[in-house]
Amino acid sequence: MKKYLFLFVSILLTIVLVACSNDDADNSTESEPATDGGATSENSATESELKIANDQEPAGLDPHKVPAASSTRIYSQIYEGLLTFDKDMNIIGSLATDWTLEDDTIYTFKLKEGVKFHNGREMKAEDVKYSFERIIDENTASHIRSYFADVASIETVGDYEVKITLSKPQATFLSNLTHASAVVVPKETVEANGDLQQNADGTGAFKLQQWVPDNNVTLVKNEDYHVEGEPKAAKLAFYTMTEESTRLSAIRTGEIDFTTISAKSTKLLENNEDLSIIPYQSLEYSYVGFNNAKAPLDDEKVRQALSLATDRQEILDIVWSGEGLISGPVAPSMGDWSVDVAALDLYKLNIEKAKALLAEAGHPNGFDITITTASSYPDMVDTAQLLQQQWKEIGVNATIKQIEWGEYIDTWSNKTADILIGRNSSGIDPDRALNYFFSSTGSANVWNFANADYDSIVVKGLETTDPAERKTIYAEAQEMLINLSPNLFLVSPKNYVAVRKNVAGYTPYPHNASDFNSAVKE
Amino acid sequence: MTSYILRRLFMLVPVLFGVSIFIFLMMRVVPGDVAQTILGTDATPESLETLRNKFGLNDSYIKQYMNWMGGVLTGDFGQSMRNGRDVFPEILSRFTLTFELTILAAIISWLISIPLGVLAAVKRNGATDITVRAISLLGVSIPNFAFATVLILILALFFNYSPPIGYAGLFEDPIKNLEIMLIPALVLGTTMAAAIMRMTRSTVLEVLRQDFIRTIRAKGAKERVTILNHALRNALIPILTIIGMQIGTLLGGAVIIEQIFSLPGLGQYVLTGITQRDLTVVQGSVLFISFVFVMVNLIVDILYAYLDPRINYK
Repeated sequence: MKKYLFLFVSILLTIVLVACSNDDADNSTESEPATDGGATSENSATESELKIANDQEPAGLDPHKVPAASSTRIYSQIYEGLLTFDKDMNIIGSLATDWTLEDDTIYTFKLKEGVKFHNGREMKAEDVKYSFERIIDENTASHIRSYFADVASIETVGDYEVKITLSKPQATFLSNLTHASAVVVPKETVEANGDLQQNADGTGAFKLQQWVPDNNVTLVKNEDYHVEGEPKAAKLAFYTMTEESTRLSAIRTGEIDFTTISAKSTKLLENNEDLSIIPYQSLEYSYVGFNNAKAPLDDEKVRQALSLATDRQEILDIVWSGEGLISGPVAPSMGDWSVDVAALDLYKLNIEKAKALLAEAGHPNGFDITITTASSYPDMVDTAQLLQQQWKEIGVNATIKQIEWGEYIDTWSNKTADILIGRNSSGIDPDRALNYFFSSTGSANVWNFANADYDSIVVKGLETTDPAERKTIYAEAQEMLINLSPNLFLVSPKNYVAVRKNVAGYTPYPHNASDFNSAVKE
Repeated sequence: MTSYILRRLFMLVPVLFGVSIFIFLMMRVVPGDVAQTILGTDATPESLETLRNKFGLNDSYIKQYMNWMGGVLTGDFGQSMRNGRDVFPEILSRFTLTFELTILAAIISWLISIPLGVLAAVKRNGATDITVRAISLLGVSIPNFAFATVLILILALFFNYSPPIGYAGLFEDPIKNLEIMLIPALVLGTTMAAAIMRMTRSTVLEVLRQDFIRTIRAKGAKERVTILNHALRNALIPILTIIGMQIGTLLGGAVIIEQIFSLPGLGQYVLTGITQRDLTVVQGSVLFISFVFVMVNLIVDILYAYLDPRINYK
């Protein structure tokens, strides 16, 4: 009897083990075999492989479908668009060499010749047309479809020229084309695979070698890259490491070469002589979002009172260790586009005035309110706790509700919270910060905020193509917005990248911290 | 026995059916929209709607459940909503890692806990016993995520060592695989060992007080034989129960450990699935884990009969 039992248990275990040992390769995405010198780059890769910690698992690699930062930092190595930004945020050509604008609505782009996709075929005007039409197609469900909402037609003129006609002037069109998702993809690869979630085929400096889920995505140098002398590294490997303590330990011991770190962790690494900590001002800002349709926050006096009772400097010092800048709706790293908020009355702590405004609004003794925040973001929780304390001074009793990220996104889109703490990115053009988040038709206006005068200003800003004139318009819009206070804008934090000292040629910028084309290990 | 096993296997059906309904409803009751989570804040309402239609989220719950179950019964667990990969092969491949981690952790924990537990029982109230009890109390009290984080920090700061990154399967590169798995398994194993150590000590003590042990000793058996062949063997039933339950706990505890050590296991898969509201991934994985859990319990029950001839399942 015992013998049979043992036999049964052993067979069972063997079955489970065999079933589970299904070849791992089935599950990792491998790109087409490297046709040109794949072996060579494999060999040299051991010398100049850069290892980068990715704080989340990429959510797919289709640039037209996936907005997650964990994916963007990978596919932006693989794909390119017509335009890009230089380090000073000037628009420069990438796949386009030249472009002209006629009648404020017709853009003509001349394409670089001889650029090849990773599959070996030359990239031509037809591919640009196909890619942008793919983004516009409702069935693609692209997250940047709205960027092309005013496109009336896309035509090719020969193999190297594309003409895009807009239905009305749109000053943001060129900057939209620099977006990491507005990139050119080959039709045949999309059609062969259904989409580009697992397969990658662009014109970029690196091509996909393999993707082991929840572990790493490895890219190898594109030997045919159209920019002379780039990329410098033979291989880029992105390792998914969700825990900051693991990333810190791996960069200390040299297991990885790059990682983003939080402001608080910089202190743990600053004395390490093998590492450089590179800070850069982000394009993000933290905010307090009000439900502008719900009493008492529907009264602008109440919102202004809360602004006057908010000590932004204290939030900067405590939540962000003093590293960052107090911000308006357009982050200070956008340069001339953002207004100097320090001079504005509503940014100066003034408890007496705040109380007076509350009394005028009919709340002399304050009121009770709920602040909702995402539990997975310590900075948001800390901000909520500070606000809870600060607002007590004017009799506002806030209860903090911490929710999990999926529920937070739901609350955000359903517009159900009284007050939501969050972080926004200013984007690459002030239109995003001002129109998209706050005009009454803005698709991310989840604040029930509507003001006809404000709407007309931002529409004017969008339709004006002269940069100087736009700046004046947007300065007016920012001041108006801060005065109406549909949100309170708090702090634009610094971001930090820890890099091993033996890596040269890497500089992060507010609009792009993932440019590894010139980075190399010495 | 065969009929008992068949009966138990047959009982799997209602259990798994219940689990499937529970997890299906659970994922639909919790707030959070997969389309919004995927497309982020830039998405237009039309894009969100297209995606929801593509995933069938606008169908009735009954239709959605039938579609899912129809697939499951034919071995197709569907595709991840997030990245389009087939769920079932991915579960199997990730389970290999989690299973290996669990088994390694279990072996480590047995190696530590059973000898120490027996030793503590034999040297009752002596210095060894007190030390073992103190260690086990400490082990039970420290959560494994805290232990893991501190261990990583100590290894990096004082020994300039961090577990290798990347992953190699056991059969591809056994040495690298073991190097990657060793520290996570050690963390998981030591926290598990504490509970088994306490149980071993108390059950061995209990057995040692019984009459048959006195008889064996009176017959002149060596102490080593008395302890290992008679006392430990008879003490194994409750220990085995704990081990069976701990295997389940290990599969759960692996979630945190896999996350901390960046291991692409099943726990990491479920966790990412939950935060991203990837319904097919979570449903498929939970169903699979339930199956494994039930099977482990079945194996433990069968082992009871092997260890204690008085138990039979006829």
